[in-house]
Amino acid sequence: MSSDSQSRQSTALPVSRVNYLGIVKDGVYRTNPVTYQVLGICIFLAITTKVENALVMGFALIFVTAMSNLIVSLLRNSIPRRIRMIAEVAIIATFVIFFDQFLKAFYWDMSKQLGPYVALIITNCIVMGRAEAFAIQNPPLPSLVDGIANGIGYALILVLIALFRELIGFGTILGYTVLSPQWYQRNILFIMAPGAFFMAGFLIWVLNFINPPKQAEAGK
Amino acid sequence: MKDNMRTLIFAGVLGLICALVLAGVSQLTAPYRQANERAEEVRNYLSALGVPGWQGVSSSELLKVFEQNIRVDQQGKRTVYEYIPSSLSQAKPIAVAVPFSGTGLWGPIRGVLALEPDFTTIRGIRFFDQQETPGLGGEIGAKWFQDQFVGKRIVSAGGDPGFRITKPGGSTQINSVDGITGATMTSERVQVILDNLAKELLKEKSSHVQ
Repeated sequence: MSSDSQSRQSTALPVSRVNYLGIVKDGVYRTNPVTYQVLGICIFLAITTKVENALVMGFALIFVTAMSNLIVSLLRNSIPRRIRMIAEVAIIATFVIFFDQFLKAFYWDMSKQLGPYVALIITNCIVMGRAEAFAIQNPPLPSLVDGIANGIGYALILVLIALFRELIGFGTILGYTVLSPQWYQRNILFIMAPGAFFMAGFLIWVLNFINPPKQAEAGK
Repeated sequence: MKDNMRTLIFAGVLGLICALVLAGVSQLTAPYRQANERAEEVRNYLSALGVPGWQGVSSSELLKVFEQNIRVDQQGKRTVYEYIPSSLSQAKPIAVAVPFSGTGLWGPIRGVLALEPDFTTIRGIRFFDQQETPGLGGEIGAKWFQDQFVGKRIVSAGGDPGFRITKPGGSTQINSVDGITGATMTSERVQVILDNLAKELLKEKSSHVQ
């Protein structure tokens, strides 16, 4: 087991010099789950039609990624290598179902609006990705920070895209009418999946323009 | 061999812990979830029937309003919810509601149709338990869509039972409403559900009269 974990140490950080700020910057901006890694797009397409939904989904992601990262990290030395992905999924699923039941019990209306997409967080590659890429080989505290940072990174993009989609598609923000239906023709394209693809592509383009990805520079 | 045992034990223990946590959470939230689900259904019946006093009240009060004003009556195979206001002493219902269900685009659609005592004029309709595309087909749950039904009939001007959901802006008949832009599939399925319901109801009504 120890040789296994050693062979996976390549990207692990030494305990004494953990760069928390770097972890946060990576998760939120530099390697943002949506705009850089392009992960978790299924949920992203489905629920960014309304800002309110995006906020709740963002919060769910922060909670699940942080908690599953923490637990996976605590167990990282005892999880047998061969079943580590199954173990990760089991841990993630537990937190997701926990959150889903919580919504159903105390925020019924929101739970109805998000429908199956809360349960689908289990298959969100960001959660699994952070467990597999970070938590399984790093100590608990940095893993927790990494989970929160990536969750925030995901949530920010969700809310940003949802702002535009709700405004253009419904003429409202958080349910309040901004563009009056009397003179504004709501654009249904932005409520449908293609609208989200256009928005995401445009956002990635803008972000890459402001801050070109490292590989591209290395390739020149 | 030793490794295999370790793997098995780890998987077993992890599975057990996860299962215990989830069972606990499920137990703790079950009463709240069930109350929400029941209240959701009751709220839809009350609002479709136009019973006052259902807005902004807790789940338990909602059930009380329901019990005081609604009489559940079994007519053949169909369960009919009769609105008999608690304030009046009369025994005749001033409106009736029938639940319906059918296939939507992504999953089952359930709802309730409230009719005037003549069994043909629509008093209100609510779609609940639907998984149509949010913002498109999901608009069948929205007020503007459901409000269109009020005052319409489930019988055409010529007397034939049935209901139509037309292209947006194309509804001219007494037994039709506008569909939803960009949600033709959902509109078509809702039409099938309501059309069948209208025909069944009218058939049952005629057999009752005889």
